[in-house]
Amino acid sequence: MPSVCLYFQVHQPYRLRPFSFFEAGRSSNYFDKRLNSEIISRVAKKCYQPTGQSLLRAIRKHPGRFNLSFSISGTAIEQMRAWAPEALDTFRDLAATGQVELLAETYYHSLVSLTEDTAEFHKQVRDHIDLMACEFGITPRVFRNTELIYSDSIATKISELGLQGIFVEGIPEILGARTPHAVYRNYGDTLSLLPRNAELSDLLGFKLRNGGPNNSALKPDDFVRRIKEVAKSDDTIFIALDFETFGEHHQGDVGIVNFIEQAADLLLADSDWSFVTPSQAIASASSRDELSFPTVRSWADEARDITPWRGNEMQKAALKRLYSDEFRSLCDEDLWRYLQTSDHFYYMSNKGGPDGEVHSYFRPYESPYDAFICYMNVLRGASAVSLLQQPRSLA
Amino acid sequence: MKVLMLGWEYPPHISGGLGTACAGLTAALAEKGVDIHFVVPKVIGDEVTPHMAFTDALGSASDVAKTADNESVKTEVTRLPAFLNPYWNQKQFAAAVASSQVRSSRLSSKIGVPEVDAVSQALEDGEVYGVSPFGDSNECNQTDRHNLARGLFSEVERFTSDILARFSSEDFDLIHAHDWMTFPAAVALSHTTGRPMIAHVHSLEHDRSGLFYDREIDAIERFGLRSATKVVAVSHYTKRSIERNHLISGDRVEVVHNGVYPRQVISDYRQRKTWPQHIVLFLGRVTFQKGPDYFIEVASKVIPHVRDILFVLAGSGDMLPEVQEQARALSIDQHFLFPGFVQGDELEELFSVADLYVMPSVSEPFGIAALEAISFNTPTILSKQSGVSEVIQHALKVDFWDTDRMADLIINSLAHPELRQELIENARLELSKLHWGAAADSMLAVYREVLSAQAREALSGASCY
Repeated sequence: MPSVCLYFQVHQPYRLRPFSFFEAGRSSNYFDKRLNSEIISRVAKKCYQPTGQSLLRAIRKHPGRFNLSFSISGTAIEQMRAWAPEALDTFRDLAATGQVELLAETYYHSLVSLTEDTAEFHKQVRDHIDLMACEFGITPRVFRNTELIYSDSIATKISELGLQGIFVEGIPEILGARTPHAVYRNYGDTLSLLPRNAELSDLLGFKLRNGGPNNSALKPDDFVRRIKEVAKSDDTIFIALDFETFGEHHQGDVGIVNFIEQAADLLLADSDWSFVTPSQAIASASSRDELSFPTVRSWADEARDITPWRGNEMQKAALKRLYSDEFRSLCDEDLWRYLQTSDHFYYMSNKGGPDGEVHSYFRPYESPYDAFICYMNVLRGASAVSLLQQPRSLA
Repeated sequence: MKVLMLGWEYPPHISGGLGTACAGLTAALAEKGVDIHFVVPKVIGDEVTPHMAFTDALGSASDVAKTADNESVKTEVTRLPAFLNPYWNQKQFAAAVASSQVRSSRLSSKIGVPEVDAVSQALEDGEVYGVSPFGDSNECNQTDRHNLARGLFSEVERFTSDILARFSSEDFDLIHAHDWMTFPAAVALSHTTGRPMIAHVHSLEHDRSGLFYDREIDAIERFGLRSATKVVAVSHYTKRSIERNHLISGDRVEVVHNGVYPRQVISDYRQRKTWPQHIVLFLGRVTFQKGPDYFIEVASKVIPHVRDILFVLAGSGDMLPEVQEQARALSIDQHFLFPGFVQGDELEELFSVADLYVMPSVSEPFGIAALEAISFNTPTILSKQSGVSEVIQHALKVDFWDTDRMADLIINSLAHPELRQELIENARLELSKLHWGAAADSMLAVYREVLSAQAREALSGASCY
């Protein structure tokens, strides 16, 4: 019986305001409260709430057969509490249906898994697991690392937390001839790996406007047809993307917000098919081959590696400073964690081409160089020994 | 295709982006097979222009270049002695006259060797003036000065009639004129010969002088732009200025970005002398348009935060004494070097040792010097009010008046070598697309459009304007 496993990412960073060199040590007003509140209110209104409602309808229409999963970062939850509480209510309603699984990630959507500091990595994941239990009454069993960053050595750190599975990018060179539509085991056999189908996921993520026949807009029936074309009898197709796709990245008519609901209606008309949660997929998986990721990969940029965040010399220098013992000893601990969010480094990427366009879409500064300078000024301020240190306020 | 180009050379003592741009464009067009007769107002002296040869012929020289297809293309150069600098307004013209050693001279059979003639004789004959700043005589003749004090526009008039006299009966397909001083001549020649005229704008009086612009120069600009068959601007920034200040419709203006000569950075100048650890460079004319006073102000904000730093303000111009005084008044003059006008090896050295090149221009139509800096592996900080910021993405950009932000950018650039490294590696890739060949291609397209429009009008008998 073929199935689709849906996973939606919900994340917002605390973006930094254009912090000047001359403010360092004098002001601790690091975060752009106005911009961050504007963005989350807007995204909640255009995407989280209406799409969430659409998914709730789908869940009620197809009891037991329409299941899905979310991962909601700690920084997103905090900002929703402050500026978009109705969106948080929608997510609570979804969690309460019993047909929505919540995944674990690092609380701050951070790159700490790339460092040697396993203790800090564990702390950030445990904080997130506690948050899920507190907000939604659900304890996550499956993990997704920031931007699906994954390697064999990262798996080891995750296994130590008692989690049973993890989403990874379905990299063609790594899969080789093997099907992407199955659950695998990691190198070391401690976790189940759920490989994201990049082609179908990106069809939704990037090509809603022109992914249909003859570059027309992608319609739910095109999408369902594509899924059926690739699936064999016992396949599970893993579709993972940014939840903001529906209503924020792609705006306009109601068709976009209801896309998944309509696709579900069409697909579930065929009684063979179902939508499963990651845990359900793991439970029902039969044979599990090993899939090894010797180098670190991710779901971002064409290279699907860590160059979106640690590709150029500026990013490397910023990360080195952030995770240095010296900086850590001088910086307030909470602030240090908020500065770890991967987006800060994503904004510093100066790649060109299509990758560059995506980076530039998300970047709230005029250039990656401005992003770097702003970040380094903040690090300078955060580690300044000054009589004027005030508690920083994010919200 | 034969083009009569009225432009500017790159003499060692009168310089700026305009001369460099003309030289680059001419050489690249010649390589594409365009026959060019290049006419320049020349101040007789020791100029060096590598791709244009001197000969012994009176008033003219020619250079035989090879195109990419190895055809021979002739670039002819005529130097008309005239006391003109494309950046001058009336006041600067008068000041230049007063400060230079003016001797009238008759053109001799050999260019470059002015014969000192009887002053009164020369003036009565209405002979052209030659100026030799490196002359051995210190006298500045009163009568000479009086005549030149008739002013800048008289000199332009004389230049115009010289051109008409020499070129009315010459054969060419179109006239290409660079900046306002050549416009009267170009328009007159266009009327006389019936050939179309292209007005190429490298700089506007509004850019050069801001609020205190010279209305006569402004009027001559407008006259040239309105009379031209087509206008070429060096940037979209300048195109917008043209539309706004001279009410020229946008579809009559094409943008052709300037290029740059590729350069091999050969020697390591840092090792040769003891330079301070951090060097920040300004290089350009020291005049209102270039924002040298903002450079000084920014330096005063940077110096308290960076050890062992040197600010170099290289160039000459009317604001030089003022900015030197500004540095003294701010007590930062010991962190400044004012080498004056630089060229050749000295220019190369400054660009090579600098950690940063700063262009705080108030209004910069293009800004070739920024491209030169990049070709010397120096990262740049550019005024957003510049044309060159349209073509380089990998630079730090800032509003010219935002001295706090400019200081922030400089301090961070000096503190973080990785920032400079990323800027320059990526800017160099951008630079590789900005060669004069590309500019020449765009220019050729404009030439063809103008000529085919001319041909169509001739067939239909419609008037030009």
